Amino acid sequence: MPNALEIRAMNKAFASNRVLRGIDMDLPAGAITVLMGANGAGKSTLVKIMCGVQPADGGTMQLAGRPYAPETPRAALEAGVVTVHQSINDGVVVDLDVASNLMLDRISTGGQLFLRRRKLHAQAREIAKAVGLVVPMGLPVAQLSLADRQLVAIARALSHNPKVLILDEPTSSLSDAEARRLFALIEKLKAQGVAILYISHRMSDIRRLADRILCMRDGVISGQFEEQPLDYAGAVRAMLGHEMTDVDITLATPGAPVFEASGLKLRATTKPFDMMLRANEVVVVVGLVGSGKAQLASALFGVAPPVAGEMRLDGRAYAPRNPAQAIAQGVFMAARDRRSNAVVPDFDIRRNFTLPFARRHSKAAHMISRRSEMHTARRMIDEMGVKCQSPGDPILSLSGGNQQKVMVGRWMAEEARLLILDEPFQGVDIQARRDIGTRIRAQAEGRATLVLVTELDEALEVADRIVVICEGTLVSDRPNRDIDVAAIMAEVADTPAQPEGQVA
Amino acid sequence: MISRRKLMMTASAVALAPTLALAQDAPAPFDTPGDVTIALVRYLSTGDFFQSYLAGVEAQAAALGVNLRVFDSRQDAALQADMVDQAIALGVDGIIIQHGLTESMQEAAQRAVDAGIRVVAFDVNVENEAVPQIEQSDRDLARLALEQAIADNGESFVAGYVYVPGIAPLDRRDETWTEFKARYEGIEEVAQFGTLDNPIANSVANQARAVFSANPNIEVVFAPYNEFARGVMIAAQEAGVAENINIYSADISTADISAMREPGSPWAATAATNPAVVGEVSVRALALLLAGEDPGAQVIVPPTLITRDMLNEGEITNMEELGENIPAFLHADVALADWMALPPR
Amino acid sequence: MSVQARLIDLAVKFGFLLLMAGMLVFFSVAAPGFLSPHSAVFVFQSVAITGILALGVTATLVVGGFDLSIGAVATSALMLSAYVMVVWELSAGVAIALCLLMGAFVGLVNGLLIVKGRVPDLLATLGMMFLLIGLQRIPTQGRSISSGMTLPDGTVARGTFSEFFLMLGRHRIDFFIERLIPLSVIFLLIVAVLVWVFLEFPRHGRLMYAIGSNAQAAELAGVKVERYKIAAYMISGTLASFGGVLLAARLGRGDVASGTNLLLDGVAAALIGFAVLGAGKPNAFGTAIGALFVGVLLQGMTMMNAPYYTQDFIKGAVLVVALVFTFAFTARGSRRA
Repeated sequence: MPNALEIRAMNKAFASNRVLRGIDMDLPAGAITVLMGANGAGKSTLVKIMCGVQPADGGTMQLAGRPYAPETPRAALEAGVVTVHQSINDGVVVDLDVASNLMLDRISTGGQLFLRRRKLHAQAREIAKAVGLVVPMGLPVAQLSLADRQLVAIARALSHNPKVLILDEPTSSLSDAEARRLFALIEKLKAQGVAILYISHRMSDIRRLADRILCMRDGVISGQFEEQPLDYAGAVRAMLGHEMTDVDITLATPGAPVFEASGLKLRATTKPFDMMLRANEVVVVVGLVGSGKAQLASALFGVAPPVAGEMRLDGRAYAPRNPAQAIAQGVFMAARDRRSNAVVPDFDIRRNFTLPFARRHSKAAHMISRRSEMHTARRMIDEMGVKCQSPGDPILSLSGGNQQKVMVGRWMAEEARLLILDEPFQGVDIQARRDIGTRIRAQAEGRATLVLVTELDEALEVADRIVVICEGTLVSDRPNRDIDVAAIMAEVADTPAQPEGQVA
Repeated sequence: MISRRKLMMTASAVALAPTLALAQDAPAPFDTPGDVTIALVRYLSTGDFFQSYLAGVEAQAAALGVNLRVFDSRQDAALQADMVDQAIALGVDGIIIQHGLTESMQEAAQRAVDAGIRVVAFDVNVENEAVPQIEQSDRDLARLALEQAIADNGESFVAGYVYVPGIAPLDRRDETWTEFKARYEGIEEVAQFGTLDNPIANSVANQARAVFSANPNIEVVFAPYNEFARGVMIAAQEAGVAENINIYSADISTADISAMREPGSPWAATAATNPAVVGEVSVRALALLLAGEDPGAQVIVPPTLITRDMLNEGEITNMEELGENIPAFLHADVALADWMALPPR
Repeated sequence: MSVQARLIDLAVKFGFLLLMAGMLVFFSVAAPGFLSPHSAVFVFQSVAITGILALGVTATLVVGGFDLSIGAVATSALMLSAYVMVVWELSAGVAIALCLLMGAFVGLVNGLLIVKGRVPDLLATLGMMFLLIGLQRIPTQGRSISSGMTLPDGTVARGTFSEFFLMLGRHRIDFFIERLIPLSVIFLLIVAVLVWVFLEFPRHGRLMYAIGSNAQAAELAGVKVERYKIAAYMISGTLASFGGVLLAARLGRGDVASGTNLLLDGVAAALIGFAVLGAGKPNAFGTAIGALFVGVLLQGMTMMNAPYYTQDFIKGAVLVVALVFTFAFTARGSRRA
């Protein structure tokens, strides 16, 4: 098969952050290439460059043998590179009817001032037929199901006779039946010789469609799988990465049980499980996006109660209805995604550190003691190794890694019974990650610690025990000693489409 | 309870008796007043003046025994025009247009006239010969107040003036002020201010105080609207200059009466037309039209001068007592006919 | 830091205070009589009521909300206090207590609508504003309330505004000069200091700022976000009703008014306050300065015989400049950019 698109040595950086570091990629015509990568691997930047939203800093692209460097999304479209985005409503104008949506590109390129309705509908119907979309052309898109809206977006894309079709997580909001209809369409386009780049986390989709798999990690292509049968577990490993780290873990001696859960059910459809966290121990839960990690954290911290199950803390019933109640009982959580869930942008470092425990810094008449706050802020800056001028610096003047140290340190300033850290290494550089990991272990004595991560090597750096979560339930639990990386990868990548234990 | 109710029924029957007797002599259509329906289409309705006006309309309509429908557009000019059309569609016999904009009401009034409906307009010029204008004479109001100012303070004084241009009655009062300044060269206007930010009295008080500290020599303030006068009075008291200043204004309300009667009040006099009387006159003018008589192109309701001394001598505390003490304030001898019943006093 | 950056920093920090100082000098020269203790007190008194309202709305701005109902709450309190004293003939104490309770209750309803009902703050308080403008007119059928008025049922109201009540708006305290400082100015200063202390020093103010900056993060840090939001609207409502009481005491009667101008002036003061000392966020000190700024401006311009529309124009211009200071040059702005 000839390559429809070839990318060579592509680079892209945002300030000092190198997002793409020499990407080489071929997309053969008439084949489905699946692109896998964790959050922040650089997938979306790559797609944005391919479809003309952003320019590359360096490197070349060739489309059907000719140089290709789209300056605008429209230029990409006209050259034959078509993108269907993850959020479906980005691809359609919900207030217009189906026909207008399908003909939008032609309408907006001008030509006739007045539109002839009948002709418009006839042309639109032709386009719709190609994707098997059977809805009245005059129906507003707002009244269509998400799947039909997506078909409208795809149909509209296809009216450009694409050479390359990029689908970014297209099944994330579809039912199984709708997804099957989409797959059939993709197969049909493949047969017509379109080069398809399919971006997804869903292993079942990937198994169903992939002719070849590319994995991205930290801005480089970290794996390429073309031999049949495809090595799916290898692909997950390449995506999540596993460099043997030089972190030396001395397993802690587990203390008394601190937190116990029995029959915990995170979603209505998932299997209940039991869980026990002991003092001194750092337990890391590894799972992909959507595996139920987020619900587990929410249930333990009182953000959203579990669907069913009992929780006990130090032997007493524990059912927090909100974070305040969790904190009052000694359960702290550093939330994932610090930008929206943790950083108070108007506050300086000191105030960000003391936010959860302002009460402990206040004296008579609830007056906050600045001296007590400064003391804590200085101590935590020191312990966490935050690089800053003074505790009075605005939090936003810090680098991402240092902000994250403050957000984690915020919860380490006081004694916890159970400390939950949800994605504590998200968006930080390797040094900050090591610093934070070291602090987590150094202070673990006496409390139970639960860390939730996506990437296995982060788990290997801090865990006493590694627990895999998949489809809302815990599937394995092993001490962090002589870890069989491949086995964990297989468990992480498992999907409900596959029978238990079977790994391709 | 029953006996009391009976008593009241008897009383009202007695009260109605003269009306009924008169109605028999009344010209058509007032020989059967129950079949007559008139509409009041309002542009402005909030505030004491408009409440009182409505009361006058209601009282006179009841005295005549006609049906009254009130349409309230709440300062929506387009809606007011629509309401005239609604009234036409309802088949009313006569319409009173109360305030509004010439631009929006001119055509609406013409449509009503074309439909054979009699129309009178209060304080809005609909530019139609068939529509008599009911007016309280703003020029007369200003003239009465200013003549009193001259009488009290002589022909030369330092004056402050409260004015917001663009408001029709204030503009008409301003014409008189301009005439007076031309006629009496001794009047020196050192400050002009004014605002309609509500509460108006509070905002005007803030301004007036600044004016008093900039111009401590002011002797007379002409504030031809009672809310203005109220604000100036507050400022004069706060600035401690109440004794040196006399305020002359237009319009009056119960609250104004007590303000004027406060010890040491700087509010010397006001010229006013009783809004209830204006309401009554509006209905009577319309009744004349309906009976085929001619009220004239303009029906002017004459104002009354009310001074601080008059109020103090009569020990007047509210509008009702004002009417009892100053008969001219309670009734206007305009738009009258022998056959017409007047509201009970 | 480059010289230019340093200059911008200085301009952001002290620009507004300099502007105010410049204005004071200008008016002192241009308007004779401007520079006197009486004139200064007048400025304070003219902003006392809007200043108190502005301090209330500052509390809602701090938690990232907004209260459009303050003007209507103030005029409702104006009518309520008049109604209680003139029609029900009850004492001033009862009138004040009922007004403050009414304000707190309106704030509670606003807060519940926003927090529990998930109604956006602007819409909830806009609805409340209309509701109150209408409600305050129902008992008197749209008439103003004054002693001796005739009620809808034909009886005459004989109650009066008590001396004590009128004193709140009219009494002046000797301060070097006899009868110089009105009580309302004292109230403004007390409320300003209280709100300032409350927002800056105790835990509660700190947590309210955290909510305004990132409510999600505050919730996950265990802050009871809903309670604090409701509390902010109750503070706003209570202060607005207190402003209404002072208004009633000054006017000496219950004037029918929508209070829209009170709202606009109050909000303008609070927003101008963002720019004072480069705070870039709602703060009580800035709000007080913002209110004074507007007061000085209006006093000076009135003394120079400037008509009311030019005053509105200048007020608007000041607000726009203040917002540019806040959003274009400070951390708050650059973060969003």
